[in-house]
Amino acid sequence: MSGILVRNAFVIDPIKRISGEVMDIAIRDGWVVEDAGPDPVVIDASGCLTLPGGIDSHTHVCGTKVNFGRYMSPEDMRAGRTARRGVMHVTSGYSVPTTFGNSYRYSAMGYTTLLEGAMAPLEARHTHEEFTATPHQDMLANTLFDGNWSVMEAVRDRDIKRVAAIVAWTLSAVKGFAIKLTNPGGTEAWGWGQDVRGIHDQVPHFGVTPAEIISAMIEANEILRLPHSVHLHCNNLGVPGNYRTTLATIDLVPDLNPLRQSLYLTHAQFHAYGGSTWRDIDSRAEAICQAVNGKPIVMDMGQVMFGRTTTMTADGPMEWKLYMLHHNKWSNHDVELETGSGIIPVYYSRKSLVNCVMWAIGLELALLTNDPWQCLLSTDNPNGAPFVKYPEIIALLMSRRYREQEGTLLDPRTSHRTAIFSIDRELSWEEIAVMTRAGQAKALGITGLGKGHLGVGAAADLAIYPLDPDGIDPAVQVQEVIAGFSRTKYTIKRGRVVARDGEVIVEGANATIWSRSDVPSQYDMGQDPAFTEKFSQYYTVRMKNYPVQEAYLPRGVCIRTEAAL
Amino acid sequence: MRVTLVARPRAKPSLPVEAESIIPQNFLRGTDLTVYEGNKERRLEELFFITVEGPAVSPDQVEVVLMGATGRVKRVGEYMNAGRIVIEGDIGMHCGNFMSGGEIVIKSNADAWLGREMRGGRITCMGSTSHNCGAGYRGEKRGMRGGTIEIFGGAGDFAGEYLAGGEVRIHGSCGDMAGIEMRGGLLVIGGTVTRPCGNMTAGTAVVLGHVNRMLPTFQYQGVNDEVWDGKRLKMDVWEGDVANRGKGRLLVAVGK
Repeated sequence: MSGILVRNAFVIDPIKRISGEVMDIAIRDGWVVEDAGPDPVVIDASGCLTLPGGIDSHTHVCGTKVNFGRYMSPEDMRAGRTARRGVMHVTSGYSVPTTFGNSYRYSAMGYTTLLEGAMAPLEARHTHEEFTATPHQDMLANTLFDGNWSVMEAVRDRDIKRVAAIVAWTLSAVKGFAIKLTNPGGTEAWGWGQDVRGIHDQVPHFGVTPAEIISAMIEANEILRLPHSVHLHCNNLGVPGNYRTTLATIDLVPDLNPLRQSLYLTHAQFHAYGGSTWRDIDSRAEAICQAVNGKPIVMDMGQVMFGRTTTMTADGPMEWKLYMLHHNKWSNHDVELETGSGIIPVYYSRKSLVNCVMWAIGLELALLTNDPWQCLLSTDNPNGAPFVKYPEIIALLMSRRYREQEGTLLDPRTSHRTAIFSIDRELSWEEIAVMTRAGQAKALGITGLGKGHLGVGAAADLAIYPLDPDGIDPAVQVQEVIAGFSRTKYTIKRGRVVARDGEVIVEGANATIWSRSDVPSQYDMGQDPAFTEKFSQYYTVRMKNYPVQEAYLPRGVCIRTEAAL
Repeated sequence: MRVTLVARPRAKPSLPVEAESIIPQNFLRGTDLTVYEGNKERRLEELFFITVEGPAVSPDQVEVVLMGATGRVKRVGEYMNAGRIVIEGDIGMHCGNFMSGGEIVIKSNADAWLGREMRGGRITCMGSTSHNCGAGYRGEKRGMRGGTIEIFGGAGDFAGEYLAGGEVRIHGSCGDMAGIEMRGGLLVIGGTVTRPCGNMTAGTAVVLGHVNRMLPTFQYQGVNDEVWDGKRLKMDVWEGDVANRGKGRLLVAVGK
């Protein structure tokens, strides 16, 4: 394979502290190198913003609940249809597109790595199969532990080492990447028709509280030395007044790792509501940001954008509450001994004050967090909005004027309930680069794999946007910014040009990144009598059939760590 | 302007033709249109003999006449907003999808999904139609929202499913579950119907003939004197579907 030389690129690379230098990037065999070798393919990137490939650190694109969203919404599958073209398959769907639809549309926006936000361990095989059909992005899977019976019992017995051992066994069995807690304890309670109302509520039948689960998991995560921190979807999502729960959760977090955060708070927007009912809901983004500033915590926005979408989460009780609001179609699932899920289609309307407040809170979070490394850009795709709205969010963050223009279309009470229109801050190109790739790479702990930067030795994942930062004023030229971030001129993935002007031009070959923590043999849960006994007693599958075989990961990349047990 | 399309004999006459391009406004720019026959894209003149008479400057001056074997031609009149389409024979599925204005006259029978999710305009069908007339397509929560569909024959199952506005008048009988999930609008059925209006939340359904297997989830409100189609009738009034706190009205002629 001959090398590629990207010439005269306007590079912003926050990890390598390059901010707007015009330089050449040499690529060979999938890596950024000093010298591209003889006769490289030359790509002229003069006047083009060039960033490391985009990383989405929380999205729902693969797995059983995404697929359920597809088949319960035939009307969504009729939207956004594209015909077969060149190497591109037929795609369909808008908020929950087909796997190829996801892959092509992300690729057109310059994204090369995605983290699936919630994979139920029992249904991991399906997720990995869909990963192989999302060919243009390297995939990672957060693995759900929020209602795991064995974990909760170990937490009750205050046996952190056993918690760590169970996590290690499960992650390596299902080829997951990190720990995801979704409404810890609440989804299990939902199995009994209940929910937890705060982090100190007891989970029925287990005698543990969400606070104990969260603290134990944070500790276990560091014992296993996993690359990413615990990835937490707090309790009480979407409940007015839930900011208190979120603040209490933030107070639990110790600083255990010098390299990265100790807790990742996902879709923080849904957890920053004041008031006590839908009628008096207001924004508490400022309180959340004050608590997060300077803490070992990273959050992502979970921005809501107006229009039609589908909500899907492992948080079963929350989806039921949404169903009671909308009375539209709805699904709830229980995953035995592990977790659950729920899916409903929604429409976020500018006429709804609640939706307007949600829209404002997401932006406030991003603008009030001092350090962009602590608040990453996401919509919790597709819960807040489909990911194709990212360019619009970038434009909103970069232009006060655009925010005010949007504000004129909203419910006029929005400005009383939120502070969004009094914030002057406009993010810079560099801050956007942090919030869409560098911050993600650091938070996920995958910079060591060459993700999120363009230094020599980095993975050759590049996004070359037709945007000239010297020639465009993002505060004014909003449409240019949106158009530029919607379609790259070139997306380069592992040293190959995969998309050009929004068209995917090659068959993809992605990798699945998973982590495995080696534990001493006395902590091997596969040999543990109590654990195996529980398995054979309660699961509908046998333990030997449970692990996902390596055949399901044609290009698996394993991050191995040595557990401190 | 009058555009006459006479279907040419086809080698495989059962292959469906996707003809969403056959709408009056498209003919203002000539007849160089394409349709799909199966999975092959064809020019309109490969499938039809085309004659154009007279001029037009706006779509409401265009009349499209379809003749010959058009029973497998689908989506005629999709998104039309003005003008007139006359179909001399049968017409395939999805005729008048999403139409918002103008008129479609079908002199024989229409296949399923006639006028699905239409917003305005008028469809008249001299013969009968098949299932899901005026309905919302799979997964959609609102069917027809405005306009009028009048059918002189009968209709299949699920007539007026998810009906949200406008009027559907069926002079003949319907199959199973007419008017289920109705959210508004008016559905008038001249003949017999089975299990009508399940889960309706609003709107009015009128049955001038007999109801088979009336659903138990409707609350009886008494007898009213009503005038329908110029006839003075005594009608039983039902409200429902109470299973989902619906407030729709179902009127059934007494003694039929």
